[in-house]
Amino acid sequence: MSREARITLLVLVALVAGAAVAFGAPHVLSDYFVRIILLIALNAILVLALSLSNGFTGVFSLGHVGFIGAGAYISGILSIPVQQKMALLPHLPTFLHAFSLPFLPATLVAGLLTALLAVVVGYPLMRLSGYFVSVATMGFLIIVNVVLINASDFTRGARTFTGVPLETTLPWVTGWLAITVFVLARLVYSPFGRAMKAVRDDTIAASAVGIGVLRTRLIAFVIGAFFSGVGGSLYAHYLGSFSPNTFYFALTMSLITMLVLGGMGSLTGAVVGVICVSLLSEVLRSVERGFTIGDFAVPALFGASQIVLGFIFILVMIFRPKGIMGDRELTFGLTQRSATVNQTEERKR
Amino acid sequence: MIKLTRRGTIGLGLGAFFALASASTALAADTIKIGYPANLTGIQASLDGPMLNGAKLAASEINAAGGVLGQQIELVVYDSKSDSTTISTVASQLIDSDKVVGIIGFADSDSVLAIGPQVQKAQIPFITPGATSPKLPSQLGNEIFLAAFGDNVQAAVGAEFALNKLNGKTAYLLTDIGTEYTTLLSDYFVTAYEHGGGKILERDTYKIGDKTFTAQIAKLKALSPQPDFVYASSNAEEIGLILKQMRQAGINLPVVGGDGYDTPLLIQVGGDAAKDTYFTTHAYIGEGATPKVQAFIGAYTKSAGNAPENAFAALGYDSVKLMADAIKRAGAPDPAKIRDALAATSGLDGVTGTITYRPGISVPDKSVSVIGVKDGKLVLASEAAPTFVAEP
Repeated sequence: MSREARITLLVLVALVAGAAVAFGAPHVLSDYFVRIILLIALNAILVLALSLSNGFTGVFSLGHVGFIGAGAYISGILSIPVQQKMALLPHLPTFLHAFSLPFLPATLVAGLLTALLAVVVGYPLMRLSGYFVSVATMGFLIIVNVVLINASDFTRGARTFTGVPLETTLPWVTGWLAITVFVLARLVYSPFGRAMKAVRDDTIAASAVGIGVLRTRLIAFVIGAFFSGVGGSLYAHYLGSFSPNTFYFALTMSLITMLVLGGMGSLTGAVVGVICVSLLSEVLRSVERGFTIGDFAVPALFGASQIVLGFIFILVMIFRPKGIMGDRELTFGLTQRSATVNQTEERKR
Repeated sequence: MIKLTRRGTIGLGLGAFFALASASTALAADTIKIGYPANLTGIQASLDGPMLNGAKLAASEINAAGGVLGQQIELVVYDSKSDSTTISTVASQLIDSDKVVGIIGFADSDSVLAIGPQVQKAQIPFITPGATSPKLPSQLGNEIFLAAFGDNVQAAVGAEFALNKLNGKTAYLLTDIGTEYTTLLSDYFVTAYEHGGGKILERDTYKIGDKTFTAQIAKLKALSPQPDFVYASSNAEEIGLILKQMRQAGINLPVVGGDGYDTPLLIQVGGDAAKDTYFTTHAYIGEGATPKVQAFIGAYTKSAGNAPENAFAALGYDSVKLMADAIKRAGAPDPAKIRDALAATSGLDGVTGTITYRPGISVPDKSVSVIGVKDGKLVLASEAAPTFVAEP
């Protein structure tokens, strides 16, 4: 089989498997497991969006959660039913009172507006490198948080924003995940993707061979922001009620942990990171309630899950500093694309 | 040595996950399961922790007395980490995996808003021991019950206490606009206070997490004539700091507030500055309390190892008794029957007062305790039901 055919086969198999899980799981598994799968897929979208700038372009952003928050609030404001809008957000501008959008258009608008926001924010910030861009994007996150708290006519301030219809189902999230993976894979393993990695590995050499550093970083940042906004909208319609602090440092830390643990330069690594961290924290959350094995009873130790999780992260970073996957992709042997590329790269070094 | 491949590791992890997750459901014994999600870590821990201890005490008392309907009751406790995503996961775990017949939980309205849609959809009766927003049942649905009074009731008692006992005809109003609870409480206070003939001279706001209140205090100091008292609708963390900074600025007016003051932090942080402070809350659990409360204090101290930290411990205790009473009257551990029995609760005598639900209203009419601070100690200043209550 030719390489192209193999890749097509792999994509088809993945799509069929994804669709089977998305539509089959709610009939077979209990709501709890469906929710876990849904959260994994949702977090995978967010982490993939983050990996584009943090992993592939070398712009270590701490501000993506700002885009997630913006996306969540934008789609929330757009999709609250009209009659509830009057009661919950009485001071909205009248044109926003008049209508409410269904789930998909609200999500698309949220994604596009956050992408626009990313253009405005990214244009000055993407000139910075290294630690400076991390601190500057963190500044953006803080600004978003302060705006969400103070624009109380639109967001109810620091109080819980509620009344968003619960429409995020597993097929929706897996559908969006498939789109995210497809777009990102096309992007990362394209000539433009090479440019991104060149900018990451050596900015000066990249600009010397004619790669526009600012342009490359900005495009990666904006596309990442689009999917962050989409993910934010999915989050909003999953939770139904949230507050500005839902989208702040705690979420930033958990997404970055998933990304770094999975491997920063790998799309499948990002997904593996999400799966590992999510399952581990779920297992630990159930174990910390205490359990009995035979006559041996372990008492409840609430809070222990965070400690164990932190300890495991330290161990992974010591023994696999590049994360579980590093910059390799999980291909199940069907395509050797990235593996061969890495071997040639390693030989060059 | 066994060499673990990457795929092998992932497979092992997945296997362990499903094994553990199914193991926890295999322990089903012949008990009536009541779900108890609690924010045992995170910002709500100082309220939810004591509440859980109270709830566990009630459950063990009920079981020692033979249980309900001949079965033991079991509290299924999960830590929901003061995080809305975890709360929704825990809710599905309780409803689908543990098959609980009722759920009790949370001291704040925000967490209840997070769990509400799921319990409503699954038609599982839900009691919140500590959340006090009287709007919750109308926002979420008919499965939601409050074990505490609504904010409109405590605000009215606060207003009447200030008008009649403190002779406060004019007030300065300070509101934390960062949380649902303080914003609502402040609105209800204004309605009740102005209805009673009081006048608000000036109002100002701050947000939860603020550490300095100099601007607000300067505004208060500049008022001429000075108001008779200050109504500060605040949460536990901030009120101590507000009092301290106000007394340092030379303002010795009485300060009145709601049950958000009711944590050990008030006196720990406020210190001497907490003098002449009054707040409305669910029960007085200090020296000279009623025999029923004394008995609760004794039992709680024995089981938890320390005296009840605040009235939320008593609310957790009462909520379990309330649920058990409803299960008994329902005659079967069936969520729909329990809900109906819960709605018909009448004259249930609890530590925090008597619980009765009027038809169609899931917020009980309860008396409110007003507690004052004297010589660094909490004393009961008044106990009353209000004469006028603002609409929710």
